[in-house]
Amino acid sequence: MTSYLIRRLILAAFVVFLAALFTYMLFSVSPGGPLAGIQQQQRRLTREDLARLRAQYDLDFYWPFRFTRWLIGLPNGPIIIGGREWFANVPVGCYLPRDRQVVQRDGQLVVIPAGCDDYLYLSEIPQYHPAVRSSRGILRGDFGLSTVVRAGRPVFDELMSRLPATLELMILSTLLSFALGIPIGIYSAVRQYSRFDYTFTTISFIGSSMPTFFFGLLVILLFSVLPNLWSDTLPWLPRLPPGAREAVRPYTVATWLPRVQPGTFLDRFLHLLMPVGVLTFFYMATWSRFVRSSMLEVMRQDYVRTARAKGLIERVVIIKHALRNALIPFVTVAVLTIPGIFSGAIITETVFAWPGMGRLYYDALTRSDWPIALAFIFITAVLTVLATLLGDILYTVVDPRIKYT
Amino acid sequence: MTTVARPLSTRPTAAAERSESQARVILRRFMRHRLAVVSVILITFIFIISLLAPVLAPFERDAIDLTAPSRPAPPGTVTQDGRVHYMGIDHLGRDLFTRVLYAARVSLSIAILVVLISETFGALLGALAGYYGGIVDTIISRIIEFMLTIPTLPILLIISAILLRRDVVLPLPGFLERLLSALLLAPPREVQKVVVLVLVLVIFGWLGAARLMRGMALSLSKQDFVEALRAVGASDARIIFRHIIPNGLAPILVNASLSLGGVIVLESALSFLGLGVQDPTPTWGNMLSTSQSYMFQHPWLPLVPGVFLVTVSIGFNFIGDGLRDALDPRLKR
Repeated sequence: MTSYLIRRLILAAFVVFLAALFTYMLFSVSPGGPLAGIQQQQRRLTREDLARLRAQYDLDFYWPFRFTRWLIGLPNGPIIIGGREWFANVPVGCYLPRDRQVVQRDGQLVVIPAGCDDYLYLSEIPQYHPAVRSSRGILRGDFGLSTVVRAGRPVFDELMSRLPATLELMILSTLLSFALGIPIGIYSAVRQYSRFDYTFTTISFIGSSMPTFFFGLLVILLFSVLPNLWSDTLPWLPRLPPGAREAVRPYTVATWLPRVQPGTFLDRFLHLLMPVGVLTFFYMATWSRFVRSSMLEVMRQDYVRTARAKGLIERVVIIKHALRNALIPFVTVAVLTIPGIFSGAIITETVFAWPGMGRLYYDALTRSDWPIALAFIFITAVLTVLATLLGDILYTVVDPRIKYT
Repeated sequence: MTTVARPLSTRPTAAAERSESQARVILRRFMRHRLAVVSVILITFIFIISLLAPVLAPFERDAIDLTAPSRPAPPGTVTQDGRVHYMGIDHLGRDLFTRVLYAARVSLSIAILVVLISETFGALLGALAGYYGGIVDTIISRIIEFMLTIPTLPILLIISAILLRRDVVLPLPGFLERLLSALLLAPPREVQKVVVLVLVLVIFGWLGAARLMRGMALSLSKQDFVEALRAVGASDARIIFRHIIPNGLAPILVNASLSLGGVIVLESALSFLGLGVQDPTPTWGNMLSTSQSYMFQHPWLPLVPGVFLVTVSIGFNFIGDGLRDALDPRLKR
């Protein structure tokens, strides 16, 4: 078991490294970023100014070095072993790139890189990159500085400020979907082909194949837009806030309810209703299908027949013999929701303007804030790999027949 | 004489009878899934109107109605020359009915292209992995496992964000560009973006088919008839293409139908987030995305593309479900 664990952990580290490298490469070839279009905006910018700005965002490094600086904060200067500097004259980047303007055949002026006027050497890093807070690397808990969304603020602070909203949304909807989905799944399996089974199988089938964002829009339409439009004829109809986490001004939900003050518990609750409802519906659909099929699988087993043959009452057969075994795969799959609880639901958060992690990631992507997007991907990858591992370990705990060597 | 002739003449008819009856059994089992049958009818209907889009559409795709009383305008608005906007006008003054028809064409084409490419590619890789085993299997299986671990949506969003911003120009051969442009009813410069999106969706699309086919090939390649084929001297290529892939086709077909629904949802999700097909080319996703900003005054706007999107995505899932019931010989009800 120990050797298995060690092997798995090494493999997990490798997978995370690959994912990080892959996404970093993607970002490094993509245009945009903090300095996109800056020369068009400010014509007076000299080459030296630009070089200083580039250095500020580590853009003067070649991308493999930029990657290692992002990952572990190295290289941050010459390597000193035994009082001697090693590799001091190795160029790790280009401080002053040379551009050449080329007129293409169709008359367009294109700037292409053409060599380098001033290389950045390993020994020069402390001079051009004085140690600021964002140079210790993500593995040492430093996520760097945001470049666009919250320019200059540490990414870590931004993530932390978004985390509560996402946790609130995801934990609530995950727990609710367990609470609803598991009993529904069990009951449909026990009463297979009954009307209850057909109804809920169809509902969960629709739930798991319907696009989240349209369902979200539909819910907004039903509970927010239409009551607003009909407020003259049907003033008693309650209308829910269509997005965000808190209101800015006091508002009325319905004529028969007092005005809701922003920031109160009721305000929070009303804002949570729709996004939690949508997510719960989708997760519930998945979980009830999962529990139903694994329950059906177990009900066919011989030990269930044996339990029945012993003369046990049906409730005991289902709860003590079937359910406990049916939940074995459930436990391991449920663990896989952990990364999702952190990373949130990108689409649902966007539809409901929910200020959570998914929304932050989406903003970071559309506005080319690579440090935020990278941190998000990195943390999600780490959590996914760890959750998979945890799931496999839990499997041996709940099912002693399985042993890893 | 007759005793010699009989087996010769009956053999082909017997075989034909058997295959026909099997097809009929599958059809009968499929017909029993009522929702799947309804879905087939609905999707065929949407398919036909998307094929006939240029004929049915009352307006040009991007034509702006300058005489409209308001933009957006509700269904039933009449232009000055007496033509009706059956589903209203969008925020720029374009006819929604026309755009929904063209969007059906684009969304369905993307889904079908993605599923065709990824199921073929996945089935091939899976068959190779399962048949050869060893190092080939290890490499392909590890790649699949790795790609299943990483979260799909964030990565897809990155890739399409980057590719869209980069304005990549793919070296498409001229005939392919013309073909796709005719398929999507879009000018060639819009085809580029669609092809990029198709490729992005294929990146994660082939995993399911590859896993299914690997499993099938693994069990098939250990069966006696494959051993017999090898003994007869059949080449690996012949065994894979003539025997292994055709035998594993049923689950691939089910998977293809389910993933058609999945791809349509994924494509419209990307387009909804603004990282898929871009505005002049209509898809259900980007129509929904623009409708979100106007839905507070014009609540019918999201319903127009939404109804089509939901019908198609749920429909393909029901068809897949029905196909699974019909094709799986173990589920004899």
